[in-house]
Amino acid sequence: LNVLIIVFTEMRDKLRKWREDNHRNSEQIVDVGEELINEHASKLGDDIWIIYEQVMIAALDCSRDDLAWTCLQELKRQFPGSQRVKRLAGMRLEALEKYEDASKQYDSILQDDPTNTAARKRKISILKAQGKSAEAIRELNEYLEQFVGDQEAWHELSELYINEHDYGKAAFCLEELMMTNPHNHLYCEQYAEVKYTQGGLENLELSRKYFAQALKLNNRNMRALFGLYMSASHIAASPKVNATVKKANVKYATWATNQINRAYQVSYARCLL
Amino acid sequence: MSIKLTTQAYCKMLLHAAKYPHCAVNGLLVAEKQKEKKKDSHSTPILCVDCIPLFHGTLALAPMLEVALTLIDTWCKENKYVIAGYYQANERTKDFRPNQFAEKVGARIAENFSEAAMIMVDSTRFTMGCYEPILAIYDHHENKWKCRDCNADCFEDWCEAQKITSALLEGRSYESLIDFDNHLDDLRNDWTNPEINKSVLHLC
Repeated sequence: LNVLIIVFTEMRDKLRKWREDNHRNSEQIVDVGEELINEHASKLGDDIWIIYEQVMIAALDCSRDDLAWTCLQELKRQFPGSQRVKRLAGMRLEALEKYEDASKQYDSILQDDPTNTAARKRKISILKAQGKSAEAIRELNEYLEQFVGDQEAWHELSELYINEHDYGKAAFCLEELMMTNPHNHLYCEQYAEVKYTQGGLENLELSRKYFAQALKLNNRNMRALFGLYMSASHIAASPKVNATVKKANVKYATWATNQINRAYQVSYARCLL
Repeated sequence: MSIKLTTQAYCKMLLHAAKYPHCAVNGLLVAEKQKEKKKDSHSTPILCVDCIPLFHGTLALAPMLEVALTLIDTWCKENKYVIAGYYQANERTKDFRPNQFAEKVGARIAENFSEAAMIMVDSTRFTMGCYEPILAIYDHHENKWKCRDCNADCFEDWCEAQKITSALLEGRSYESLIDFDNHLDDLRNDWTNPEINKSVLHLC
């Protein structure tokens, strides 16, 4: 009996960790979550509702409409008239590619609550799913004028711009994110990648600085380390730089090479353990 | 002028796409380096023996792609391979045409290998059974990419490729597939995927 309790706790904790990390490992969530719901529902207490939501979304990812429907019904029964559940019903319609019906669902949420950010973002997701990138970008910009602190939205917008090769605007979005999250090494590193991609000496130098900054914030960020090496090497090789700048960048590139080699040696050693 | 794929190359491409169904994915194909160009070399197809999965998610950024090309080029030289192709599966299922980025990378590879191919994965026909090849192969002709029909002839052994890819999909081997992004997250992750290569050999 003890073994069963341990198994149950492990499963519940796994689901919680995946929720907190916003992991999209939907097949695993369905595997663990379905068993948890079917075998251990009574032990879950109030956790069960958030688990129904998590499993439902994962089920949609895996085309398990049967499972998604079951979860949705449980949530509808427990929370009648809830906007949050209405949004989940909308997501199910999206998964079935019934985009017009889904849009109507979100519009009805917005009628009752015009500030419902989740519904607005789902509408933008529909545009993205339909390949209407220009419209998605326009709507997302409008949304961000109103909800300027929504980090997830800024990040989504940066990705949409990158896919359209509009690196200048992608950089602007990442600048917003860096301003509000100065200790986030990932935003620094992504900004550096965008600047590098934009090209030109000035952007390369900026990219090198931000790769370096990302490394300062997290010295294990391999992308930042490689990026530092690449940008410094390109600057050193540029015919437009003077001898001082060239020398400095050769130094940075050499330092980065040594750090990269060390990192590989450490990882090989850990492999053997 | 045309390329053929081994089971291992096809398999790992599809496993990569299956691991990240909600993302765009891309990668490289490698062929064995030909010792000499024979007189009728243009009639012998290039055999792509392996596939290196690169990235998932946002593909269109330069620095990590350059790092990957550099490291993989070195690995190719050590193993007498040459980078012979590029594959991409777009984020949206219905979107299986090559975009500007795919053409750019393809052109870059063609600079070093004139018979380079660009391959787009058609996710709309992606099934567990793998009953038909789901690739569109593009050849570089006079600065344009021309689509070639992909059928069983594009494979070293289509029956084997179909059987083994399907078996690995059913067995969820894609969960352990490593791409270059995974390698950058943790250097211990091996983008040559030796375990999956073993599984393919085992099933042959």
